[in-house]
Amino acid sequence: MPSPIQVFVARRFVTMNRSMPYATHVAVRDGRVLGMGGPEIRDAFGPAGFDDRFAGDIVVPGFVEGHGHAADGLMWRNTYAGYFPRTAPDGTRHAGFKSIAEVVAHLRRAEAAMTDLDRPLVAWGFDPIYFGGPRMTRADLDAISTRRLVVVAHVSGHILNVNGAVLERAGFSADSNLDGLVRDEGGQLTGELRGPAVMGRANRVTGDAGLSRLLDVAALRDFSRLTRRVGVTTSTDLANPLPDESVAALRAATAAEDFPLRLVPALRAREYSVPDGIARVAALRRHNTDKLHFGIAKLVVDGSIQGFSARLRWPGYHNGAPNGLWYVAPAELFGIVEAYHRAGIQLHIHTNGDEASELATEAVARANDAFPRAGHRHTLQHCQMADEAIFQRMRAAGMCVNLFANHIYYWGEQHRALTMGPSRADRLDACATALAVGVKLAIHSDTPVTPVDPLFTMWCAVNRITAEGRVLGEHERITAVEALRAVTLGAAYTVNLDHAVGSIDTGKFADFAVLDRDPLEVPSMEIRDIQVRAIVSGGTVFANA
Amino acid sequence: MTPIPLTPVGGFLGAGKTTLVNHLLATADRRFGVLVNDFGAIAIDAALIAAHDGGVVSLTNGCVCCETGGDLGAGLAQLATRDPPIDHAIVEASGVGDPWRIAQLALVEPGFSLDPIVVVADALNLERQLAGRWVADTVRGQLLAAEIVVLNKIDLAPDPAGARAALASLCPMAPVVETRNAAVAIGRLSFPVSPRPRFRANPASAHAFPVWHYLPARPFDRARLRAVLAALPRSILRVKGFCRLDGDPAASLLQFAAGQWALSPYGEAPPGLVVIGTPEMPAPPDLVARFDFALLEQ
Repeated sequence: MPSPIQVFVARRFVTMNRSMPYATHVAVRDGRVLGMGGPEIRDAFGPAGFDDRFAGDIVVPGFVEGHGHAADGLMWRNTYAGYFPRTAPDGTRHAGFKSIAEVVAHLRRAEAAMTDLDRPLVAWGFDPIYFGGPRMTRADLDAISTRRLVVVAHVSGHILNVNGAVLERAGFSADSNLDGLVRDEGGQLTGELRGPAVMGRANRVTGDAGLSRLLDVAALRDFSRLTRRVGVTTSTDLANPLPDESVAALRAATAAEDFPLRLVPALRAREYSVPDGIARVAALRRHNTDKLHFGIAKLVVDGSIQGFSARLRWPGYHNGAPNGLWYVAPAELFGIVEAYHRAGIQLHIHTNGDEASELATEAVARANDAFPRAGHRHTLQHCQMADEAIFQRMRAAGMCVNLFANHIYYWGEQHRALTMGPSRADRLDACATALAVGVKLAIHSDTPVTPVDPLFTMWCAVNRITAEGRVLGEHERITAVEALRAVTLGAAYTVNLDHAVGSIDTGKFADFAVLDRDPLEVPSMEIRDIQVRAIVSGGTVFANA
Repeated sequence: MTPIPLTPVGGFLGAGKTTLVNHLLATADRRFGVLVNDFGAIAIDAALIAAHDGGVVSLTNGCVCCETGGDLGAGLAQLATRDPPIDHAIVEASGVGDPWRIAQLALVEPGFSLDPIVVVADALNLERQLAGRWVADTVRGQLLAAEIVVLNKIDLAPDPAGARAALASLCPMAPVVETRNAAVAIGRLSFPVSPRPRFRANPASAHAFPVWHYLPARPFDRARLRAVLAALPRSILRVKGFCRLDGDPAASLLQFAAGQWALSPYGEAPPGLVVIGTPEMPAPPDLVARFDFALLEQ
């Protein structure tokens, strides 16, 4: 006996399906789309249940987060201390903390709620660059506790603030003079720690700053609470070392009927030798299900632009900082790319600076020239400073790009003032150039670096407005429909799932995001204000409270 | 507990770092602990590890250059507490790593004493690398941090004059050990260990690294000591040993390298500092005057 059919009706389905861009009715069976169209669909496939709860809403394909980290589900076990608004998995909305005093007051409340004095207070997401100068000090954190270890991690990942208890435990005294121990005019340590050496020691004596823990089922479920609220039905976890414990957690979490997210974990390739990494991906593919998709691998070529560790071409950093770091030697990268390419594994290559993007493109081009493989879809992730010439080479080599559109809002002003300077900052995350050249495009949040929210990411790519309200690179703005494609079918393409998700089409999973307004029709500045009422994952409705 | 000497081994991809580490293991006269600071590319010879079960070899994945840098510090912390203890730690940097970052960890992590920063250079390819499109600044940066250069593959280079000239220009103060197959004894990569003549240079200063000892007559004034250390010339590579700081009942352990230093409380230890430098380091009377200036006034 065939499974029951459910017909969903909406004010409009925006399908991203070229054969039928709009519909009002979509029939679903066995979690997949059977057909779509007008009222005639209602009985076209036989007797069907009828679901009209979205009759007044706009339904789009479930969003695909092409570059996120499931570790976002772990972050919330610590205390959020960021400047921007952010919603926790349990739905608690933080307005964001607009001064050091607000951050400290929030941490004091968090500390007061803690009972075990041996547990450190760890906060994350702190970003003082919007406070106009003042830095957090040891005195601020000593006022919270002189006994409990207190650690505040900056959103950049390159700075920690700690209290005196941590300084003492780490053995950092004012008599020492180590790179990364920041001092005040009087020579006293401010508790600000910069760089991996001193940060690593502080993290270790704190026991657990929380960011290196392995994912568990609870963290994955919390991650899915974050994603479903913003309409995401498929997300990458880019990347994961994928030891057996993590694989077990991924399998257990995604096997649950009520888990509303398809996950695409990328193997962190450098945790393995090249042959072992290739073998690991092959072995993991055997665990693939409708909701769990192994098969991609990630490489990191350089650091970050705002951390001055990205590799840039001439003229380098606007403020004169020396060029960034290779995280892998160029000659070694060529070998790794070729090996994974030949093994038929798709690579997601982190490149922030344009020199890194150029190198990675060269590596893919050489591998593909030597061993041509149609449709390899190797993708540059972030690729923030690529220009038209790099995009042309990427296109010629068959590559895709996933641009970090959220950066324009969150760090656009810093890029203009410090890292790239005026004019070059205008081509940050050049979505319009990528599309004009014909490179397949996705855009992303890199959550938890910035919050997962594809409507916000669309808004960034369409408007290119910085946090201070400036348009950064007006000619790189793209249209709403182009942006919607980049967070649905475009992102699905970059993870080889465009046959299964990213549009509403016969045979594809019935994964939808239900919106109160149409992102293609609202004024472009309002795209980020659209409400996600529900998601549908494999035909099952998960309504937002 | 005597601090464990730590030798950072840097150098660009293919220069022969791993060959050098394997050579040190194969000729081991002490218990080595080895950390390999690279991802997924461990080529330390397993047979050597097996053959030297008296020596501890510990391998980690982790890259000090990037966000997982804490891993290497954790690896060092583990090495420092090995039982039975190791005699000497070797940390092999990644081929694009900055060896100074590893050296800095030896100052930050308690229990280590920083030996010379060794950078292996490839006599055959160095000039090409220094002109390379993508790697020139990385290779240059590694050599700028060198305190000893192992110029390897000297037998393969048809004309090593260019490589020698590049080293003389980039790191003129670093002695260069020319070799093939990275066959260099650990003794040539260490600071000299000498008896303790007081207030005069070690007469055995034919060695590339002259040594001078200083016995502080009184505790140091903190601000003055800071000023003295900050003003030391680059020809002074290390200052290490024990001293007392104004007001502290216990001794402090001082470790100085490349303008940075760590001062950490140590408990009971007789005061005495060892100063190690290049042949260009200031003469003993100058050094006496500098360090005496840091003493508390009587």
